[in-house]
Amino acid sequence: MPELKTYTEPELIRGLKQHDNVAFEYLYMNYRGSLYNIILQLILNKEIASDVLQEVFVTVWQQIDKYDENKGRLFTWLVRLTRNMAINKLRSKVYKSESKNESLDNYVFAIENNNPDTENINRIGLRKQVHQLKEEYKNVIELSFYNGFTQDEIANSLNIPLGTVKTRLRNALIELRKQFV
Amino acid sequence: MDIKQYISSGIIETYVMGLCTAAEEKELEQLRSQYPELGKAIVAYEQEMEQNMLQQITLPPAATDKRILDALTTMKKPATVIQMPLTKRNWLKKIAVAASLLLLISAGLNYYLYRQTKKSGIAGNNTSLPLSNYKVLLNPSITPVAMYGVGTHAICRCTMFWDKKTGKMYIMIHHLPKSSAAKDYQLWAMVDGKSINVGIVKDEIRGQFIEMDNVPSGATAFSVTLEQAGGNSIPTIEETYLKGAI
Repeated sequence: MPELKTYTEPELIRGLKQHDNVAFEYLYMNYRGSLYNIILQLILNKEIASDVLQEVFVTVWQQIDKYDENKGRLFTWLVRLTRNMAINKLRSKVYKSESKNESLDNYVFAIENNNPDTENINRIGLRKQVHQLKEEYKNVIELSFYNGFTQDEIANSLNIPLGTVKTRLRNALIELRKQFV
Repeated sequence: MDIKQYISSGIIETYVMGLCTAAEEKELEQLRSQYPELGKAIVAYEQEMEQNMLQQITLPPAATDKRILDALTTMKKPATVIQMPLTKRNWLKKIAVAASLLLLISAGLNYYLYRQTKKSGIAGNNTSLPLSNYKVLLNPSITPVAMYGVGTHAICRCTMFWDKKTGKMYIMIHHLPKSSAAKDYQLWAMVDGKSINVGIVKDEIRGQFIEMDNVPSGATAFSVTLEQAGGNSIPTIEETYLKGAI
């Protein structure tokens, strides 16, 4: 593979907004590892994870015009997109039918049985850092970031006030930040 | 507003991770325009998170790299919406746009219903449908062509997606009687008032796109006729089943 051109972030964003193929190749080569890692924190099946990775980059191509530099960095946008698409895949009927052995019931079952595959999910990347937090912090990040529940939904399902969820989530994320390398 | 206290409350982390409520997000974005230090603190957290996550990598398999890079290099620039000048024929364009959208929605719905039917196990012996089959719909250079039944075949329908760049036509049959062994459906393209043979439409393929090559780029309309097996050099007009214009 020929050596890739290097970009500053504004140059990269300009290239992406112009749908320049070289800029997209650079984006892929530089971010695929961390985005794939995020997907694998949510999806066990590597083939499905690869499909999600492709969907993420195709979506970036189609929706790059919607990215607003003033609202956040490119990577932040990519992480949000990746997480949303992985959660959507987890919730999709197709995923549920294609990975019968990995449904939530089986997921819990597998944890109880120390299934090495399921354990992997908690042993990589950010999720590993989350699992080093104390229980109440870990749970609130698990429910929100990894399961896609809103603060309201968490308050309802745990039967605790919304204010408590808010405080707990904020404190959990402050603690998580301390784990950053 | 004690902005320092706000900055250290954990709201920034919640916002960057995409976990805020809509109200929190609105408030933060409003405050960001008033307090530059808030903006700086947001960027600082984003950079920390980025650095953290960029160190936690798992490379996808090489085959995935190839597949995605290939997909990205063949992607076409999304079509930009051009404001049409107001002319007398503008309503026609609006109808055309609306029709195209309806067509896409209809194709999507068909696909959805097909998947649902397939899952519920009442689809019979349909062959499995690769998802990649539908990627053609994502291609922005594609022109949808609605084909309507003619005369006694008014109930017939099919949807065609024409990629003018590659000259490929993707055809989805909705309603079309099965052709007998002695007959074939044939697709014709109208170019400068003449019918040009595009080829035989293999109508035994249902619920999946039929791909046809070499669609002439100057075509302004299409028709499907029922011809003798193997096709004819000129269309049998009385046997026209479907017609559609660009």
